[in-house]
Amino acid sequence: MTLRRPLRVDRSTPAVHADPPSLPARWDPLVESFLADRTAFDEVLHRFGTPANLLFPQVFAGNIGRLAAALDAARTGYRICYAHKVNRSRSLVRTAAAHGIGVDVASPGELDSALAAGFTPGRIEVTGPKGEAFLRVLVGSGVTVNVDNEWELQTLADLADPAHPVPVLLRISGFTGSQVSRFGIPAHRMEHAFALLAQHRDRLLFHGTAFHLDTGDSGERVRAADACFALLEQAYAAGLTPTVLNIGGGLRQVFTADGDRFDDYVHRLRASLIGEGAAMSWGNNTFGYHVEGGTLRGTPVFHKYSNTVPAAEMLTEFLRAPLERHGGRSIARVAEDNLLDIWLEPGKALADHAGITVARVEFTKESSDGSVLVHVDISRDAVTPADQEVMADPLLLPGDRKAPAGNPVGVFLAGRLCLERDLVTTHMVWLPWLPRPGDLIVFPNTAGYHMDLSAAAAAMHPPAAKVAVVRRDGRFLAVSDTDYRPSSPTTDSTSPEVS
Amino acid sequence: MTIYQHITDLIGDTPLLHLDPAVHGLDGVDLYAKLESHNPFGSVKDRVAWAMLRDELETLRTQHRTLIEASSGNTAKALRILGAIHGLGLRAMTNRIKVGEVRDLLRLLGTDIVELPGLSECPDPTTPNDVYSAIDAAMAAEPGRFRHLSQYTSEKNIAAHHDGTGYEIHEDLTAAGIERIDYLFGGLGTTGSSRGAGSYLRKFHPDLRTVAVVSEREDFIPGIRSEREMWEVGLFRPDFYDEIVAIGSGTAIEATLELATGYGVLAGPTSGAAYAAARAVLARPGRTGAPAVGVIIVCDRLEPYLSYIEQRRPELFGRETGPRPPDSAEIAAAPSLNPAELADLVRTAHPVIVDTRGAMAYRVAHIPGALNIPDDRLTDLFTHGTPFSRDRPVVFTCPTGDISRQFAATARRTGHTAYSLDGGIAGWRAAGLELEREN
Repeated sequence: MTLRRPLRVDRSTPAVHADPPSLPARWDPLVESFLADRTAFDEVLHRFGTPANLLFPQVFAGNIGRLAAALDAARTGYRICYAHKVNRSRSLVRTAAAHGIGVDVASPGELDSALAAGFTPGRIEVTGPKGEAFLRVLVGSGVTVNVDNEWELQTLADLADPAHPVPVLLRISGFTGSQVSRFGIPAHRMEHAFALLAQHRDRLLFHGTAFHLDTGDSGERVRAADACFALLEQAYAAGLTPTVLNIGGGLRQVFTADGDRFDDYVHRLRASLIGEGAAMSWGNNTFGYHVEGGTLRGTPVFHKYSNTVPAAEMLTEFLRAPLERHGGRSIARVAEDNLLDIWLEPGKALADHAGITVARVEFTKESSDGSVLVHVDISRDAVTPADQEVMADPLLLPGDRKAPAGNPVGVFLAGRLCLERDLVTTHMVWLPWLPRPGDLIVFPNTAGYHMDLSAAAAAMHPPAAKVAVVRRDGRFLAVSDTDYRPSSPTTDSTSPEVS
Repeated sequence: MTIYQHITDLIGDTPLLHLDPAVHGLDGVDLYAKLESHNPFGSVKDRVAWAMLRDELETLRTQHRTLIEASSGNTAKALRILGAIHGLGLRAMTNRIKVGEVRDLLRLLGTDIVELPGLSECPDPTTPNDVYSAIDAAMAAEPGRFRHLSQYTSEKNIAAHHDGTGYEIHEDLTAAGIERIDYLFGGLGTTGSSRGAGSYLRKFHPDLRTVAVVSEREDFIPGIRSEREMWEVGLFRPDFYDEIVAIGSGTAIEATLELATGYGVLAGPTSGAAYAAARAVLARPGRTGAPAVGVIIVCDRLEPYLSYIEQRRPELFGRETGPRPPDSAEIAAAPSLNPAELADLVRTAHPVIVDTRGAMAYRVAHIPGALNIPDDRLTDLFTHGTPFSRDRPVVFTCPTGDISRQFAATARRTGHTAYSLDGGIAGWRAAGLELEREN
């Protein structure tokens, strides 16, 4: 099943896809020039070894700027809260603090990290389900509690001291047409919650409503916001004065440098799954497709690697979306009319392209079915989010600075855990030459959940070093992630204090 | 003139229109439009819906079945109407209806619309959430209630176009003495029309080139899919087509307008996309020999897509733009009142207070006695002059005091005593002054 290449009527240059299939990754120019500077790159690897997680706080800062610009253009009051959970990196959370945005933490550990990074409690929001011990820590601390459920709300009301009322947001779920969620208070239970807030006005300071959807679908987010406006009006009727609409995260990253090549790869993968063309997946992996007779059904279990719409554009579209129940006024306008600030909790969108992971090739071998396995000194769970297949090609760099001549070779990358499942890729990746021991594999864009969502410690490999890399005066400087301290963005955002 | 006995007698036998070569200006090209828009419910899908339903009507009626279908547009419309006439309901399962009029029409006709949630960011292989799985789940939850005719997999979809659309094109052209057909252009939705008509025509015209039209990947043209979405279509056979052409929505809209104003064909943007593809393919250099004969399928009508076009090309709708917005000097000259001054003015001069915010904000809290005229509506009113009497001062209010200054400046041009509330409602509230709720 080969799809003939379409004529791109709207494009001046027709896309011609040469073999082999590929998933070209987007690289940030800063990261690209770092990788091109082999002296700087080698020095980092010499100092920190492999595997290594490299973080680029300047890229992170650029992402903050782009989202802020989108919100400024919409003329709405806002607060960006960096969702700390996407990465344990110290340099990123410190950069967020230095740039004056807020932070969204989901555990006592993240709260400590945010405080240590310089966030004042007024700029910290705690999300996710919390037990009583954690709630006791939060009461009186001054941080905003994004309440997950009615038990939390009642517990906070019981624990709070009227001298230090607890600022709260209520997380809502159960919007019409949305997937059922395990988080949040059902929309239809809000009347009770508002009554509780009104009753404990002296102890609970109601900021507004919040939601977080398990999808980046813009239409669904618009409908959730619309539902929240109606609930906020209910809150006013209950005698409360909300000031915040929190729209959660879910802004997407752009992994691919070429959407058409991505589509082409998936077409060929699908064809191979129904037996047309050479096999492109390891074993019997179908990536969530259902093979039925001669056809393939369903949607693949990939993260949205095919997305080409940047987060700031998604956000702009959302803010401009007209609401029917508000006479076509946009979300930004309805919020402004009601003196509501829009809070958002981007994680992936802020970490987009702000990190890469470098692994070293140990050896290659042929498996019993003829597949070529490239063994690297890292495991699958150190570079994949929630065990999903990463559909963006890694970069192969020569270990000795000389790239050999050769033809592209289709391989699977194998991890270092003694488990059959520890393949870093179970889809075939074409590399420009057959990797040799010592060559380097660079995984693109790993800062948003990829690098440490689930890194396993079972095999007692030490965790990959985290290193912050910045460019100053055209030179790259590297420092251990934990030691990185950004200077104030108002003076010189590119100038780290490197010890 | 025939008198018809039933609306279904009007399905099919649609006209073929020769598109005036002076409009497309393509050298040595004869282009024809198969006007599927002439079907009784307005689209090519009338054929498919009727073909899938016809033979089963009696059974489904006695079994009291409800139709269930993955459709957000023309198929749902046709199935709903045909079902309604025969006492069958329709549940339309959709991954989002993106065109307001289409949704409204389906609602108006009594369709049970189920919009599927967006795909999870962290997909789980144990819970497939594609539309077919959702239909399977709905059918499993209520055994015996639904009948899934399945336009995306039913061979009757293709047969309807093989025996109907393709046959008619061939017959009409042959009757006119046209012996060959070189190109067939059609948008890809279920792929039924292009595969059905194309396979019929190929029997007589083995050199026929079928050109499939898809939308560009992140773009949206109602009724046709992007290349990547074609994965989901069970009937899709990429090898059937000689070429697959991707068209952007902007190009499709331009071509839609040319179809309407050039030929009098009021077609939807899918047809515009097919026409754009035909123009692009037939304009390629290097074609020699006898004049080429091409057919595009005009699959539905223009009217349901006004909001779609307006969203992308608002300037085409030439809305009255209102008076020239005040310049910075005028805005600077517009007098404003601080909250305390406004409170005084209310006591002494009974001003008209206009709250320019949206209705919800006004309901929640407004300055006592204020009227609510949202700014967009107010701008419209100003196109016909200043909509207030000169007898009383007018005070404009907005959230923070910037929008209201512009209205005060505009009203001052007509000699009105107009003010803006400095700091807006936020400032009024911060000053601790009274606000009232609309009950």
